[in-house]
Amino acid sequence: MAEETIIDSAAPLTQSASPEPRRLRAIAVVVAALAILIAAGPFVLDTYMVNILIRAFHYALVALTVDLLWGYAGILTFGQAAFFGIGAYAAALVFTHIGFSPATITLAVVLALLAPALTGLLVGWLSFYPGSTPLYASVVSLAFPIVVTQIIFSGGTFTGSSSGLVGYQVFDLSIEAWFWIAGGALVVCGALAFIFVKSEMARVLVAIRDNEERCSYLGINTPRVKILLTALLAGIAGLAGFSYANFSAVVAPELTSFVFGTELVIYVALGGRGTLIGPVLGTIGIDVLSSYLSGDLPYVWKLIVGLIFIAVIVALPNGMAQLAKIAWRKVARGRGAIVSRPLAVRLHAKPAPAASTARLEIAHVSKSFGSLKVLEGIDLTIVDGELVSLVGPNGAGKTTLMRCISDGRERSGGQVRVNGVDIGSKPPFRIAALGLGRKFQTAGIFESLTVAECLRIACALNDQPSFLHPLEELALPAAAQLVIDVTGLADVLSREARFLSHGQKQALELAMVLALEPRIILLDEPTAGLTKSERARIGRVLVDLVAQYRLAVVLVEHDLDFVREISSRVVVLHQGRIVLDGTVAEVVGSQIVRNIYLGTV
Amino acid sequence: MTITLDIVTTAALLFVVATGLLVIFGVLKIINFAHGAFLTIGAYGALATTAFNLNPWLSFPLAFVIGAAVGLLVERLVVRPLYDRPLDAILATWGLGIVISQFITLGFGREIQFARSPLSGTISVLGETYSAYRLVALAITVAVGISFAVLIEGTRLGLSARAVIMNEDLARGLGIDTYRVRRMTFVVGCGLAALAGALITPLSSVDPNMGVPWLINAFMLVMVAGSSFVSLALAALILGGAQVVVSSYFSPILGGMTIVLLSAVVLRLRPAGFGRG
Repeated sequence: MAEETIIDSAAPLTQSASPEPRRLRAIAVVVAALAILIAAGPFVLDTYMVNILIRAFHYALVALTVDLLWGYAGILTFGQAAFFGIGAYAAALVFTHIGFSPATITLAVVLALLAPALTGLLVGWLSFYPGSTPLYASVVSLAFPIVVTQIIFSGGTFTGSSSGLVGYQVFDLSIEAWFWIAGGALVVCGALAFIFVKSEMARVLVAIRDNEERCSYLGINTPRVKILLTALLAGIAGLAGFSYANFSAVVAPELTSFVFGTELVIYVALGGRGTLIGPVLGTIGIDVLSSYLSGDLPYVWKLIVGLIFIAVIVALPNGMAQLAKIAWRKVARGRGAIVSRPLAVRLHAKPAPAASTARLEIAHVSKSFGSLKVLEGIDLTIVDGELVSLVGPNGAGKTTLMRCISDGRERSGGQVRVNGVDIGSKPPFRIAALGLGRKFQTAGIFESLTVAECLRIACALNDQPSFLHPLEELALPAAAQLVIDVTGLADVLSREARFLSHGQKQALELAMVLALEPRIILLDEPTAGLTKSERARIGRVLVDLVAQYRLAVVLVEHDLDFVREISSRVVVLHQGRIVLDGTVAEVVGSQIVRNIYLGTV
Repeated sequence: MTITLDIVTTAALLFVVATGLLVIFGVLKIINFAHGAFLTIGAYGALATTAFNLNPWLSFPLAFVIGAAVGLLVERLVVRPLYDRPLDAILATWGLGIVISQFITLGFGREIQFARSPLSGTISVLGETYSAYRLVALAITVAVGISFAVLIEGTRLGLSARAVIMNEDLARGLGIDTYRVRRMTFVVGCGLAALAGALITPLSSVDPNMGVPWLINAFMLVMVAGSSFVSLALAALILGGAQVVVSSYFSPILGGMTIVLLSAVVLRLRPAGFGRG
């Protein structure tokens, strides 16, 4: 580190160490308290209740995985029960058909982990690809358990078909031991999940949920992240299934069904998605209540759950946890306490890498929609130290050209080379990795993340986000640092991005693109909707960036005065062709350009 | 020959079951997961005509009216607040499906029951004897399809609905009461679901959860079809045909997942499904 400056100190912290150990200590205290409760459970509860709770703990473990997928990553899944069921069947099948010995137990555990995880990879591959929609992922998550259930049905005596498997040998454990195992596993997994959701990596999930396109243009392979998350959580659900098959000593196709998968979603929704604790309590609460009430009020109880579920979804989308939060805030305000204190983030300036050359070569690029030609025969080369403005009337193909450069699947013909590498049909995240950053016309930021977190996501390509630690230190490339200093963003690092002004959002996105450390940047109307003074400031920043860091900048711009002030070269597009490519003076003095803008060509 | 008739009539039933779902998805952009429950409502409407010894043909209009009436209530209470949250709407309507099927269980019991068919026996088609009712169901489906085409192409509501499908903001800007269009569409969609329920009743038994497998297949067909009736008919014919073939030549259990599996694969390879795009 060349230099270290503490820039953000919105709420000066008095602690000597970072808040990290303190947080871990708090988690440790809670875990210890829960462990005592779990240990005492079997001694104070009756056997029926203990039995019910063991089952509820298993379900709650799966509900945790549903919450991570839905509440944090925004993936609504009806299929999580199927992974649980596959894990359970892995155990039951091995113990039924091969026998019960240390070797087969090992085999069953490995199968209960790997079979769901590998199926998870397949389901993830089906669900997530560049351009897939959240609805489609939900469709697959619905289809998947149906397929699994049908396979079990058609398995004859091997899978026990519709009656399932029963009578296989299982661990000879007391009911207390099962309570401790299931409860302990739930506490440990809950604590791990809690650490994870505060980590930098969990911010990446939220960023993908908020704006997947922006993530992929920041070099993040978003389908891969989601596929791996699906597979990992499938494996965890599978292990829970393994344990459940041993506890209950019976497996049935209902365990894999989408109806059970939907019930898990209901538990999570009622408890409060995206809170971890809500889904766990929701699952335990409903499962326990159901066990007691469904005997007395068989259909009415299910009716009541259904009605409450509808009411929660319609009126209280964040579940019971939201009610608890509102109540807590009332109490806290009464005592004059501060509810939340944003974490301060220490900024480091990252040493600038040795200046390298930059080169964007566009050869014979064309784009057509059917018979409509939007771009034709575009040839253009841009090198480091150039600030090239792309001008032309609406519909000239400027934004289309940007798209063809930054996404290899867009153009209909021709070749684009980024820093010497042919982009072929590479998706945006691979092109970003070649050193190309793109800023969108409407600021693409992550609404529910703070300014610092948005910038952290933008650094993810060169600096792997942590799975354990929250964001505390941010090593920002000098170019991005320059932008946040000049535009005042450095003072609001802990503010959520959705509360920023329009101009600040534009500046934040520019800083995010620069945090990617690109050599070439594409800017689509970076000053749209900005005031005169904001515009002038951005203009100066751009000129500085080109001069200091030898970036190659391509700018789409309508404001010709702005273009004249900052460009080193101007390219005029008209009806999909380059009509002029020259210095500012040449273009400004050109009769062709005047005619184009007056509409006489 | 029998298999051809099986394919065509199965496709017709799938089409008529999915139509209500498609209408609602096209205009409201939400998936009505209570669709299966509305189907069940229609089936129990048909059961009621049997119980009260009414003419079985009456079950179709009766089912439509009951479905539409429940739909009107549901639109106001559950669906309207969720127009901007499509994924939540899936969940809320699924919850609604649970509630409806519990009400039905409370009212009619959970056992499997049978409704009287308006038409029994077989008739001869090109030398093959075939279930007369399946052919009638085919005719009714075609009639529903045609009247729907007339409704969409020839009426003011249809025009408004098409405008909302294409560009809702613009439609509102042009003075179309989009809320009314949504309400009417939802009501018609629910009525159609119940009508379809009454239509399939003579071919199967009736129980409070009978709608779920139909919901899943209809949902998959709508996903594949986009929001076009022609694509829906095509999807029902191709995927329903595949289901019949798999069920008859391989195993009925595999047949049960054919539509689901094929739809997921089709959408993965071609996100626009059978629609244009």
